[in-house]
Amino acid sequence: MKPGFSPRMDRGGRGGGRGGGRGGFGDRGGRGGFRGGFRGGRGGGFQSPDGGGFRGRGGGRGTPRGRGGRGGRGGRGGFGGGKKVLIEPHRHEGVFICRGKEDALVTKNMVVGESVYGEKRISVEEGETKIEYRAWNPFRSKLAAAILGGVDQIHIKPGAKVMYLGAASGTTVSHVSDIVGPEGLVYAVEFSHRSGRDLLNVAKKRTNIIPIIEDARHPHKYRMLVGMVDVIFADVAQPDQTRIVALNAHNFLKNGGHFVISIKANCIDSTAAPEAVFASEVKKMSAENMKPQEQLTLEPYERDHAVVVGIYRPPPKQKK
Amino acid sequence: NMSSFRKALKSRQKNHHERSQPGFRKQLGLLEKKKDYKLRADDYHKKQNTLAALRKKALEKNPDEFYFKMISSPLQDGVHVIKKTKEVEEVTEEQKKMMRTQDINYVEMKRVAEVKKIERLKGELHLLDAESKPKNKHTFFVDSKKEVHSFNLADHLNTAPELVDRVYNRPTLETLETKRIQGAVDPRALGKLAKQRKHQYKILSQRIDREKKMFVISQKIQTRKDLQDKCKKVKVKKETTSTSAIYKFEAKRKR
Repeated sequence: MKPGFSPRMDRGGRGGGRGGGRGGFGDRGGRGGFRGGFRGGRGGGFQSPDGGGFRGRGGGRGTPRGRGGRGGRGGRGGFGGGKKVLIEPHRHEGVFICRGKEDALVTKNMVVGESVYGEKRISVEEGETKIEYRAWNPFRSKLAAAILGGVDQIHIKPGAKVMYLGAASGTTVSHVSDIVGPEGLVYAVEFSHRSGRDLLNVAKKRTNIIPIIEDARHPHKYRMLVGMVDVIFADVAQPDQTRIVALNAHNFLKNGGHFVISIKANCIDSTAAPEAVFASEVKKMSAENMKPQEQLTLEPYERDHAVVVGIYRPPPKQKK
Repeated sequence: NMSSFRKALKSRQKNHHERSQPGFRKQLGLLEKKKDYKLRADDYHKKQNTLAALRKKALEKNPDEFYFKMISSPLQDGVHVIKKTKEVEEVTEEQKKMMRTQDINYVEMKRVAEVKKIERLKGELHLLDAESKPKNKHTFFVDSKKEVHSFNLADHLNTAPELVDRVYNRPTLETLETKRIQGAVDPRALGKLAKQRKHQYKILSQRIDREKKMFVISQKIQTRKDLQDKCKKVKVKKETTSTSAIYKFEAKRKR
């Protein structure tokens, strides 16, 4: 036997070995198959890799958020109720803080047993009465973010008549309807038909919501539907939103009524500093007989957002 | 005649097999053929040639020749030691492993599942008294300078002074008098609940971390896939552990 000659089991073995060696390229053939699938799913590609965890809201106003899908979960309704949570009345009437395993802002559910957008429900038994609460997500709702941020007044309280501009799918509207209760009214104005459809579904279950699918820039189109209101809440994210609110205030807001406006700095002027944008909006309000009383930024729930609360045509000051 | 003879031969044709190792030489293994010999010989000569070339190079080496490494690398026990420059890590071991073994679809699927769980947790965990959350800014507009000087937050908010820092809920004095707390009020139960809550927050932060990591990985896999395309591209940004490399691809009309 010659040195270095390694005996082989059979001839085929060698061929096989070589085939294996080429394996590195072998998956090239397979690649073609994958391609189509990946392209579609790519979406943003390289942009904003820092997105991270809190990209939640990206979908924008138009998209119906998280409706359906998880609705089925509802049946269970909380976690055994009983003494597993603590419900603390909030500064703003009709709003509560729930502390248990969860750490949440909640409202009393007007339509017991139903979630509007898949939010968690928590029921508490006190003696014989059973009360159900719904979690109100501040990462999705500017009003909830403002409440948790410590805003002084929201002027939305049981029995109030509220005009809600920019109602979207009616997620926040449903909580406002919880707060104002059966004696109050919510006029929910939304321009987009797509999210308007979801809004209508919310309104079907809640009799105190009057949905209006119209452009809030033309209040005369729905003036026959709307009476005088106590407070206007606006979350329209339009460059001319102060003008829109003012138009509606002139038409429907009572003297001495209040307004709550959520401002997204990017939507007004994406080049200016947020602080400057808020200041200029506040100035515009003053020009429209709307007197701002407080302003609150919405960290950590939203970036570069602020909520301005004020009074419309304040009564003249009494001289002392 | 001849042609019919040829045909007759064809019918009796044999398949000639290669000769195999005779039985009495079986202990020597398979019989080596010319092509096997060729492979072995070529390999042998290649190695011999390499050795010869190296030997020649060593013989012809000029001992007085200067190399920059002589001054740039420090001596350690009389021997030059080349210091390894520590490269900036572009891909962590964990990411490498994941990218080798997992398909992008799988990573994406897991990531989306994670996003959904995060959303659900965020729906019930509202960072009420998280310590390290970014502070917001609350501005009150008043009419005169005098009011600015005499401003008292607790009075303005109509709440108890000790509640002023409890931003998420500062009940008014009326609320404190008329309303009451429902549900669990037993201090022991409350302690237990606080513990569970803390655990939930921990889970949330872990999920957020995990989602971020998976996002980076899926971006990196996608970049590698895109690079297999044969088209012009320019690297705009280097890869880091937290971002994929950024390439600019030449715009190409798709038909």
